[in-house]
Amino acid sequence: MTHIKRVVLLMIIMNIVLLSGCSSFFVENNTVEEIAPVIFWSIQEGESGKLKISTLVPPLINEKKSMLTLQVNLLKQGRKDFNLVYYRELKSGQLRMLFISEELAKKGILPLIDTLLTDPDISQRLYLVVIKGNFEDYIRNQVDKQENLDYFLYRMLKHYETKNQGDITVINLHQFLKRLYSPFSDPILPVFKVNKENFIYHGTAFFKDDKLVATISDMNDQILQLLNNDYYLKLLPIPSLAVSLGQIRSKVIIKLASDYSSISIKVNLVGRIEEYRGDKNIVDSDELEDLNQEIKSYLEKQTTALLRNMQQWKVDPLQVGTHSLTPFSQPIKDEEWLRKWGDMELQINYQLDLQTMTNVNK
Amino acid sequence: MFWKKRKSGSDRKQNDPNKEVENTTLTLDTLKNIVVNMDDAEIIERQINPDHKVTLLYIRTLINQERLNDEIIEPLIHHSPAPIHECINVCKASKVNDLDEAQRQLMEGAILLSDRSEDQWLAIKLENPLSRSIESSETETILFGPKDSFSEQIEQNVTLIRRRLPLTTLKTEKFTVGSLTRTPIVLMYIEGLTNPELITIAKSKILTIDYDLFLDSSQVAAFMEDHVHSIFPQFQQTDRPDSCVYALGAGKLTILVGNTPFALIAPITFFDLFISPDDYIHRWLIGSFLRGVRFVSFFLSLTMIPLYVAINTHHYQMFPLQVLFVLLESRSKLPFTPFWEAFLMLIIIEIIIEASLRMPTKTGQTLGVIGGIVIGQASVEAGFASKVLIVTVGISTIASFLVPNYLMVKANRLLLFAFMLLSSILGIFGMALGFIIVLVHLNGLTSLKQPYFAPIAPLHMSDWNDLFIRVPLQWIKRRPVSLYPLQKWRSSRRR
Amino acid sequence: MPSPSLFEKSSPFSGVYFMLMVNRMQMLYFFIIMPRHLVHPYMIMGIMAVGILSQVNLMLLSKWFSSNFSVQGYQGFVQLLGERTVRVFAFLGLFLILLRITVMTLGFVEIAHQYIFPSMTSNWLILSIFIVCFYLASQGMENTIRFVVIAFLSTIWMVIIYYSFFFPPIASMHDLYPLMPPEWSAISWKGLLLVWSSLSGVEFLVCLTPWLRPKQKMLKYLTIANTISVLEYLVLFISSLLFFSSNYLVKTKYPVLDMVRYLQFPAYERIDIVLISVHLFVLVFVNSIFILLFYGATRILLGKGVQQTTRMGFAASFIIILVSILIVNQWFWKSGEEQNIWLNLQIGVGAFTYLLVPAFLLVATKLKGRFKV
Repeated sequence: MTHIKRVVLLMIIMNIVLLSGCSSFFVENNTVEEIAPVIFWSIQEGESGKLKISTLVPPLINEKKSMLTLQVNLLKQGRKDFNLVYYRELKSGQLRMLFISEELAKKGILPLIDTLLTDPDISQRLYLVVIKGNFEDYIRNQVDKQENLDYFLYRMLKHYETKNQGDITVINLHQFLKRLYSPFSDPILPVFKVNKENFIYHGTAFFKDDKLVATISDMNDQILQLLNNDYYLKLLPIPSLAVSLGQIRSKVIIKLASDYSSISIKVNLVGRIEEYRGDKNIVDSDELEDLNQEIKSYLEKQTTALLRNMQQWKVDPLQVGTHSLTPFSQPIKDEEWLRKWGDMELQINYQLDLQTMTNVNK
Repeated sequence: MFWKKRKSGSDRKQNDPNKEVENTTLTLDTLKNIVVNMDDAEIIERQINPDHKVTLLYIRTLINQERLNDEIIEPLIHHSPAPIHECINVCKASKVNDLDEAQRQLMEGAILLSDRSEDQWLAIKLENPLSRSIESSETETILFGPKDSFSEQIEQNVTLIRRRLPLTTLKTEKFTVGSLTRTPIVLMYIEGLTNPELITIAKSKILTIDYDLFLDSSQVAAFMEDHVHSIFPQFQQTDRPDSCVYALGAGKLTILVGNTPFALIAPITFFDLFISPDDYIHRWLIGSFLRGVRFVSFFLSLTMIPLYVAINTHHYQMFPLQVLFVLLESRSKLPFTPFWEAFLMLIIIEIIIEASLRMPTKTGQTLGVIGGIVIGQASVEAGFASKVLIVTVGISTIASFLVPNYLMVKANRLLLFAFMLLSSILGIFGMALGFIIVLVHLNGLTSLKQPYFAPIAPLHMSDWNDLFIRVPLQWIKRRPVSLYPLQKWRSSRRR
Repeated sequence: MPSPSLFEKSSPFSGVYFMLMVNRMQMLYFFIIMPRHLVHPYMIMGIMAVGILSQVNLMLLSKWFSSNFSVQGYQGFVQLLGERTVRVFAFLGLFLILLRITVMTLGFVEIAHQYIFPSMTSNWLILSIFIVCFYLASQGMENTIRFVVIAFLSTIWMVIIYYSFFFPPIASMHDLYPLMPPEWSAISWKGLLLVWSSLSGVEFLVCLTPWLRPKQKMLKYLTIANTISVLEYLVLFISSLLFFSSNYLVKTKYPVLDMVRYLQFPAYERIDIVLISVHLFVLVFVNSIFILLFYGATRILLGKGVQQTTRMGFAASFIIILVSILIVNQWFWKSGEEQNIWLNLQIGVGAFTYLLVPAFLLVATKLKGRFKV
């Protein structure tokens, strides 16, 4: 009896194995020492509509690094071709940054992004960065001087992302796509300017759908951080008033008129004056009040100008439109909103609550 | 596995050597016949008065010779005309009627005394008190709390328990197992508290034991287990009387086995193996914390190395870049795959552990140095193992020793290898499969027919106050519900 | 193997086990794809409405649990419906069970395939899962029911991970607007059907009444289970709305998992791999229960309901299930939900049985005229 049972059991097992299609138990070889988990792609426009992608290999290891560059039609084709070039297999599971050239961004990046999104390997925390200038030159030039360049770039972006450190815009794949697909909001991306020597934060790029339409920088960018992105700035120097504000936290209250003809934006700033080189005696409360007024009107002027520009570009990176939503009413159409946003009246109002540091000059 | 049928003990009679003796009438001749070729058997014949001849037969090595002189020989020499059993100075003398009984008494350290005049044999127990003194436990050491531990003398062990539980309801039932060793077994329980079903099961299990040698309680446990193939111990072995008393008070059984200091406690649950007597000595918060640490470290010791293997072979995406940076750096020039690397290191660790157990203490320390520093450091520098793995193996090995039960520690190591294999094949998915298999196994396991995973599956929420955390003793009002004790409440006011 | 019979009943289970079982069956697979089908914020109300409806249904079911017939198990069914009818139902049940196991397993395997082992032949995953199921099921009904506690405890904590989506910067209130549907036609009826269907599975528990301790307040336990499930659905749906906002939500395949993928913990990123693997506990448990039910139904169908269970019979029904799943996976299963008839079939059939079984049983007992509350 037991013999029969065993034979039956054996046959069953064999049948199951046969049913599994005789296929090998195939799992991807992800052994860490044999792969090169790339952490960034840099994508530029190539010749005749091709993409020019490059990355730095080997990633993360203290070995002599070199730049790989390929001209391809498809992003994934690039991934495949890299493997043919390089002795370790390139894997995209640790892809952390995507540098897109400005020219490419102006033409639209959705196909690129979509490819990355559908890859289950790639984390949605992938940082997207727009690059002004030739990124490759920068890498080629710097890789000998600084080991683990790629890694430090990632650490920088991560540092500013965590708990919104102010200063720079950091946007990842998910945030970009959420803004892209949601009505009443347009995506933004950070812009970095590179030359052979430097990698400098330039400002924030505004996107209309997936195309870059405008870039703001300097003070405008700072104001954007206060209004929407971080609600926090570590330092806000205003050279024309000879004053530096520090540790500024903002609270933004946006009110839309019911017929969408006007918008009032109230910004409460809490911070402190960290540096003053003007000729007012800011220990004196009257003169401090003057300074406050000056800063206030300066910021109001700047902000109004920024928003006017946005209206002209027909973009809404501040997601102002979301304030038209209420729990129990129907949302208006996206196009209608953009039309109304274009000729909306602006009322910008700043409230400042600035502490003075006691040991300022005079 | 499940189609095997156990062979019944049909060839029982052939194995029993005593049965070969055919002549069963109890005479001096038959006795002499038995003790032939036994160097330590002594026969003393003494003519006390013309019509009174006394014969003493005993095994020299088993009896207390001083007491023999003082209590039997002396009175016999200065004997009075009274019957012999009245003149000797011992408390217990029993009549022996047949040869089997005589042999048994003889081998248990009795002196057989024949009174020719009355034509009877008396057996007088005078065992050799040769034994260790009571020492503190070496396998389950605690800093505070009672220090005494069991020794090899079963009577002494019973004493240690009885002193702690001065109850007439504390029953001790004696059995003998082992056709050669004739090891005494004492089943202890508190009548009227312990679930009678448990007692019945235990008794029936003990009675069916049929084997020749029993040198340790674990062998007795092996014959009483419900699941022979499981790697989890289904009986708790302890040499601490306080642990036994705690178990008895909770409604469990304790089985003392002769000639070994380790008593068996049953039924146990998986979680009992994580409980140390310390837990009830510390403040409850600290006790709970320590118990928590024990569970966490058990989990860590099981998962750390498999996770290392899984992530290095399959899921490189799982690590933050900062960690991957370290990992890639340390693994970039290694000759082995993560699985073999970890496997080799674990085997080496096992070898070191086994070796240090067998070595005398002082050599053991040297071994630790060699094992820890030389092999660890050298293998990294030679490029056989990554630094990360050495750290992982170290932590996981130390963590595995936090489980108070040594049998569990070993089970843990074996599981580790299985998990490693699974994780090298299917990564974290494989580990999850492994965990499910282990938990399904634990879920189906029983100890004395009682569920092994008790307060969780089956669910007894009221037992959870002494499971992962130990609440203040005042709050542990009930005895474990999962044991169905006859007296549910610990405090005497609530019945 | 410890128990001589797979369907042994040594000690009855309290309603808590059924509570956990109901909850885990409702949290098996559909909740993963649910947000994508519900999409609009106002469907929050939809989930609640279906939850209440399900509660009504459970009240009917609990009436059955307290009836005299349920206590007797198979004999009760025979008394109520006659043996021939019971056999017919057992025959139908075979297909229902088979469909349910197939869809749930293949759905899960598809997820595992996509997120963990994109290059592996999925048949191997199915095989490895089923070997574990076989091990659990072969321990008998009692042990399998008991396993629900472990399955529950090892998976219930996963909802907690979603807490971070309820806090800024991810969360903003306007993603939840509008809360009222603009018009009736805007309601995704298929989504509601999916919610209803994902609450199903409970109706199969009527086959497990012999293991239940009689004379309990089953309604209490069923209510708790249903409430927990609905709350979990709400948590997952609201958090996925907050994370994706409804327009983007439509475009993701497994929103619930993609959200977890976004989280980063200090030591591990990609928690999704761990969570999917741990979710296996539920799948293995539910599959094992259904494998045993399948075996039981086969025995009833063959008229061997009272005889001793055999290893061979059990193994045979296990093999039938496994083989049919492998066949479906190999030739008939299409990835993607819109065109997947199996999934749509299960949504329909699950909803149908969940709606009808309690009502039918109740009506049958009423007609027998021996109904006792």
